[in-house]
Amino acid sequence: MRTRVLAAALAGLLALGTAACGGEDPADTGPVSLRMTVWTSNEAHLKLFTDIATAYKASHPTVSEIKFDPIPFENYTTTLTTQIAGGNGPDLAWILENSAPDFVNSGALADLSGKITESADLSASAAKLWTVDGKLYAYPFSTSPFGVFVNTTMFTAAGLSSPADMVKNGQWTWDNVVKAGATINAKTGKAGMVVRDFDYKSWDNLASVWRGWGAQAWSEDGKTCGFNQQPMVDAMTFLHKGIFTDKAFPGPGTTADFFAGQSAMTITQISRASLLKDAKFTWDLVPLPTGPSGKYAVIGQAGLGALKKGKHADVAADFLAFFTNPENSAKLAAYFPPPRKSQLTAENLAKTNPLLKPEQLQAVVIDGISTGVVKPSHIGQAELAQAVRAGLDPLWKPDADVKAVLDGVCSSISAQLAK
Amino acid sequence: MQNTFWTSRRRDHLAGYLFVAPQLIGSIVFVFVPLGLIFWYSLHEWNVLAGTFEFTGPDNYDQLANDPKLGSVLTATGLFSAGLVVLNLSLALLLAVLLNQRLRGTVAFRTIFFSPVVVSLVAWTIIWGFLLQDNGGVNGLLQAVGADGPNWLRGETTAMISVIVVQVVKNVGLNMVLFLAALQGVPGDLYEAATIDGAGRWRQFRSITVPMISPTILLTSIITVVGSLQVFAQIAVLTQGGPGTSTTVLVYYLYQQAFQFHHFGYGATLSVLLFAIVLILTVVQWQMRKKWVFHES
Amino acid sequence: MSLRAKTAVYGILCVLAVPFLFPTWWMITSSMKPVNDIFRFPPTLWPTDVDFAAYRQVFDLQPFARQYVNSMYIAALVTVGTLAVASLAGYAFARIRFRGANLLFLVILTGLLIPSEVTIVPLFQMFHTWGMVDTHWPLILVPIFGAPSVLATFIMRQFFIALPGELEEAARMDGLGRFGMFARIALPLARPALGAVAIFTFLHSWNLYLEPIVFLSTKERFTLPQALTQFVDAYGGPMWNVQLSAATLTAIPVLIVFVIAQRQFVEGLAHTGLKG
Repeated sequence: MRTRVLAAALAGLLALGTAACGGEDPADTGPVSLRMTVWTSNEAHLKLFTDIATAYKASHPTVSEIKFDPIPFENYTTTLTTQIAGGNGPDLAWILENSAPDFVNSGALADLSGKITESADLSASAAKLWTVDGKLYAYPFSTSPFGVFVNTTMFTAAGLSSPADMVKNGQWTWDNVVKAGATINAKTGKAGMVVRDFDYKSWDNLASVWRGWGAQAWSEDGKTCGFNQQPMVDAMTFLHKGIFTDKAFPGPGTTADFFAGQSAMTITQISRASLLKDAKFTWDLVPLPTGPSGKYAVIGQAGLGALKKGKHADVAADFLAFFTNPENSAKLAAYFPPPRKSQLTAENLAKTNPLLKPEQLQAVVIDGISTGVVKPSHIGQAELAQAVRAGLDPLWKPDADVKAVLDGVCSSISAQLAK
Repeated sequence: MQNTFWTSRRRDHLAGYLFVAPQLIGSIVFVFVPLGLIFWYSLHEWNVLAGTFEFTGPDNYDQLANDPKLGSVLTATGLFSAGLVVLNLSLALLLAVLLNQRLRGTVAFRTIFFSPVVVSLVAWTIIWGFLLQDNGGVNGLLQAVGADGPNWLRGETTAMISVIVVQVVKNVGLNMVLFLAALQGVPGDLYEAATIDGAGRWRQFRSITVPMISPTILLTSIITVVGSLQVFAQIAVLTQGGPGTSTTVLVYYLYQQAFQFHHFGYGATLSVLLFAIVLILTVVQWQMRKKWVFHES
Repeated sequence: MSLRAKTAVYGILCVLAVPFLFPTWWMITSSMKPVNDIFRFPPTLWPTDVDFAAYRQVFDLQPFARQYVNSMYIAALVTVGTLAVASLAGYAFARIRFRGANLLFLVILTGLLIPSEVTIVPLFQMFHTWGMVDTHWPLILVPIFGAPSVLATFIMRQFFIALPGELEEAARMDGLGRFGMFARIALPLARPALGAVAIFTFLHSWNLYLEPIVFLSTKERFTLPQALTQFVDAYGGPMWNVQLSAATLTAIPVLIVFVIAQRQFVEGLAHTGLKG
């Protein structure tokens, strides 16, 4: 009796084992299922993607399913890489510009040269970050310049001239922005200017400020530290004063959400305009203020790549080409400024961006894309970013010694930059 | 055929092995095999994106010995654990002593002090994340009594203090209950005799209470020390190891290396270090029991 | 006790109780405030405009009900499994004399020293080889056999050691085999220890954070602690009021059960024999 029970248990265990192990059949001839990781869970975005996927499935009956898998933005790259490490990677993935060097140089992405329809239409500057040795490894489906959203209601209430006027009169400078922010904060207690998503942690968003001084995190070739060079020291000194002396920016540990009406200005990418749909205040979108080194633009990017290790890498690359062809590119332009030069016109963008006016789009988006510098990125981004972040922490105190802190940052990352 | 092999004693032995088999086999599969694999990984360089897994021998351990950040990580870990254990055990003992006085309402207080234990850890940490903001609840409360609270999560020392306090408040209820049970096991006549001899309360506490509950103190101390080296969620949610690297304890550093920077090989090496530290501390504490724990012979 | 001493004791207790009570209070009241009020400085103790919109959003943004069920059934399975494995092993170590028992017990005990962060990557590899990633199997199997169940075995062993031997002698005379002695005599007497172990184990599984994050990638399979960190808007900014509402929904049921059953809770723990 006992032996019979034991035998049954053993048989059951073996069956369980083989059932679990045996599911790895390469489905060459079976239905294909694709998964694309994204970081947006916005319903409108997902609906657009699903519509494009449905059109593709209609003309490709072997593809039974295309899933769009949102991963929260904050840990997006970590989660994506952990999935890949565990052999559970997606077929297609969105890639942040700051992890572009890591992904593009790793050999993990499939070579897209020759697959993209009308690739000559792609703007060279947009594709630069995603190309190695002339080969394109990810399609830069979104090039999003930074602009300044302003709460004109607050400006009027504080008795200040509107930012649009200041732009026209050439008075839209960082000095004036800080003065306005300080005034509004002193009068109403609301925050002046918020660099969105910075929150004293994601320092790469400060590029939208320090470019006004011509500063950079590291040299073009990525080998020399730019943090303790004079332009950066000047920029950080200005920023520090703006935070702690003038109180034009909210201090560390204080949250202020422009879109909830808690601050007068915010620097962010234009795609956030959709958050203003139900805004209870009047607002405007203006370009970044000019700094001591003049006018400048900063852009963020997002790329779409196909993973070589995916089960159906060819089909994935094929779908990528479809997703990014001129026709669908025009549809995606509703939310993601495209890299296709023919589609980068103000009228085109305005058609699909109902909340923004053509003049705003021209000034911020189109001019921004053509002249803009991408946010900092480097190989080994995660570790470098963490080191810089830890190095910059002492700066966010009222009595910080700016030059000393920045020297400290450079000494902690110089070894990694040299690699 | 007579069943002479399976004597009743042998059958009993077999039962013993069978009873412990699930736990034992499970431990081997889910605890010891992974531990072995960790040693194995620590001898390799594993680049996830490129998909390479090369044997590098002791290179990772060399890197560990020469890691400039290791010093601050170990210091942070030491400060955190020491602070946590001292605060936790003394607060638990204090609460247990207070609640052991037969006063009305102690049951209500006991519930209050134990309640954080049952609240979800992530929820608890997120809430404290709010409360510790410069314009959050804690500073609001302090302002109400006329004090000016610092920016808790932004100063090196205050961040460490915050993380320790959040963890202690969450878990001290458990130790408090264990101490309460131990206190209630101390025979009352010991105290009576001491009072007759003229010993004051503090003297009684030191010479009667503490020795009598010393086995419990030892046990909770071991559990709390081991637990303190495993605290991860609070740091991940509240400070992400900052400001600077002041709250980057060993377990968080391990997570950064393995999961954020994708140095899985080096992360494994750090795991080996962590395991070694835990093992040593536990053995030391266990050996000390002959010295610290009072045994009624 | 003198009046002065009594006042002192109550006073200290009240002051100490603040950090234990205030966070839970704040969580509940803030979840009912509109988003902008949460960060009003100085903060208000009671919501001025009660707004339950965030609660509805909790269910709209995530399959929260499903995630609740996930957490519950996983914790239940883990508790039952652990009780079975730990009571069997604890009983054997306590009452049966078999060769190598002490050594085996020590070996198993070292499992307590290994933090889950240390073993998570190899475990991930193993489960991936078995095709069990993004399922609930890792969350069920590992706790039943890993560190928390070792503590459970320890507790059960302590309890069974203290059982008087005469009961089992009598049972043996009646012809009961070992399993019978365990199931019919020892186990029914072990209710307080089983209760304490059940509580420990349930809470541990309920609160697991790292494991779900590493093993699960489909929202419908998430557990509550994981879901709590997912309430972010389309661009990654946390939605404070929704997060707090979700946190309240997670904490309140357990808290209510605890308040009702707190006497059994606390006394069960005290009687585990952990006193040493």
